[in-house]
Amino acid sequence: MLEKMMKTRLFAWIDERTGAEAIIKSQLTEYQVPKNLNYMWNFGSLALLVLTLQILTGIFLAMYYKPSAALTYGGYTVAFDSVERIMRDVNFGWLIRYMHAVGASAFFVVVYMHIARGMYYGSYKGPRELLWIIGVVILLIMQGAAFFGYLLPWGQMSFWGATVITNLFGALPVLGEYLQQLLRGGFAVGDPTLNRFFSLHYLFPLLLAAIVGGHIHALHVVHSNNPEGIDVHEGQGTIPFHPYYTIKDAFGVAVFLLFYCYVVFFNPQMGGYFIEVDNYVPANNLQTPAHIAPVWYLTPWYTILRSFESKLLGVLAMGASLAILFLLPFLDRSKVRSSRYRPVYRQMVILFFITVIVLGYCGHSAPTPTLKLVGQIATTYYFAFFLLLPFLPKFEKTKNVPDHI
Amino acid sequence: MTDQADQSRRNFLYVAAGGMGAVAAGATIVPFIGSMMPAADTLAAAKTEFDVATVEPGQLVVIQWQGKPVFVVHRTEELLKQVDGHDEMLKDPNSEAIEAVSAEWMTPENRKYRAIKPEYLIVVASCTHLRWIPLFKQTAGRKGWGDSVPEDWPGGWHCPCHGSLYDISARVINGSPAPHNLHLMPYKYMTDTKVVIG
Repeated sequence: MLEKMMKTRLFAWIDERTGAEAIIKSQLTEYQVPKNLNYMWNFGSLALLVLTLQILTGIFLAMYYKPSAALTYGGYTVAFDSVERIMRDVNFGWLIRYMHAVGASAFFVVVYMHIARGMYYGSYKGPRELLWIIGVVILLIMQGAAFFGYLLPWGQMSFWGATVITNLFGALPVLGEYLQQLLRGGFAVGDPTLNRFFSLHYLFPLLLAAIVGGHIHALHVVHSNNPEGIDVHEGQGTIPFHPYYTIKDAFGVAVFLLFYCYVVFFNPQMGGYFIEVDNYVPANNLQTPAHIAPVWYLTPWYTILRSFESKLLGVLAMGASLAILFLLPFLDRSKVRSSRYRPVYRQMVILFFITVIVLGYCGHSAPTPTLKLVGQIATTYYFAFFLLLPFLPKFEKTKNVPDHI
Repeated sequence: MTDQADQSRRNFLYVAAGGMGAVAAGATIVPFIGSMMPAADTLAAAKTEFDVATVEPGQLVVIQWQGKPVFVVHRTEELLKQVDGHDEMLKDPNSEAIEAVSAEWMTPENRKYRAIKPEYLIVVASCTHLRWIPLFKQTAGRKGWGDSVPEDWPGGWHCPCHGSLYDISARVINGSPAPHNLHLMPYKYMTDTKVVIG
């Protein structure tokens, strides 16, 4: 099909002016990908799909959403009412909003799977260090975008979540209070905060789109890693991206959409995990909700924050837990990439995944002394995992790595 | 790969899968385009209720209908008399251009009044030229209006935007850039004085 299209006169006309043929060849039909990629390699294309869906649904929601904390006759606020209007009065508004809200969680599901795959198979190791670092930047911007977006419905969880997070900056010495006011545009979270968060919530996905372009470009320079974690060369164990992986990715998209549509149509709140029930209570700056927790995808880092008795230490640890991801390619000094041939690393990284889930569970639950201790142990391992990596090659006996696929 | 493949089966699969994909993409567009159509609360505000008894004799009131201005004029005996005697000056004296909206109640006798009850004229207050709101210059002659109106001014509206003129039944006068009389809109009397517009 693509070959036929590339033989038309219209394509020739475009090619003369854009070099489209060379791009299609180098990026698709002749772009070499290892033939042994498993389904864990589908999550990159899924993340791109969800980003597109988020931008698309977001643009349409912005046609009706109003970022104002001004009070309305009903006793609510303009922002809260505009979200309810989207749910009740706007044609298909419920669908587009649920697609967007569920999409936020789906985005993190696929991206966390994508990151886990990278860690398990050592995709962050040379020559893909920069590819990994760009990926971490994407993760941080995603978390920022999700946090900004969460304020917009102007419900209780929106308001108090934003109050807690902006407060974190207040813990920093000297500049803290200044930073906090800079973020909030006032002494407390209020109308100016809502306005600027809406602006930034619109900006960040556009940044994401640009940086994702850089991520893909960086990938296409160094090419994909593979489950064996070995270098492959053109012609030996590689196949062109198109049609082989376009089809495989399309199949992945179909399976993903099955789950996504199920949640969007039948279970959009996902039992309070994707949309927190308390957020249907309008924001009230004079009353905090009984229990506050971030949405599930931010809870692991929230637990790290809570695990420290000192506010400043907690904030720094939370920042460090994200920042240390940047260092991963340099902390891991093993020559072998894939966990398949690294018995100790394999145990460590699986325990790391479990730890993150435990951290997430702790962060989502109301704090108890037991959970606090569990969270502290998990936090310790979270950092220990990274800090042990440089010493790992000293005692890890790696298995023999095959020289070809 | 191609030498082993059954091309006709493969083409069938391409078309079948591509076709399903196209249908799905088309179906996805529906809610997005649909969301840009007027929302339920906007449609619910499509009708306006008004009590014409609140308009004093000789008074003009501007009300809103679907976000557009609407004139309600309580025409006195005197103003009603100004409707006659200048048919030759009008582009469409019998209001025949856009019949549908008023077909239900328009009778040969009230054609010149362009209203269900002659004393209450209800028209869309947008000049049919470029949607400006015309000024109400109800008395005949130039007294009070100066040379903004012609010497044989029968009384009515003057649009300051490009100088369109309408008589007291909002019928456009020859020489105006406006193509039509001020538009009527569907309306009916629910009680003696309560009007539902739209």
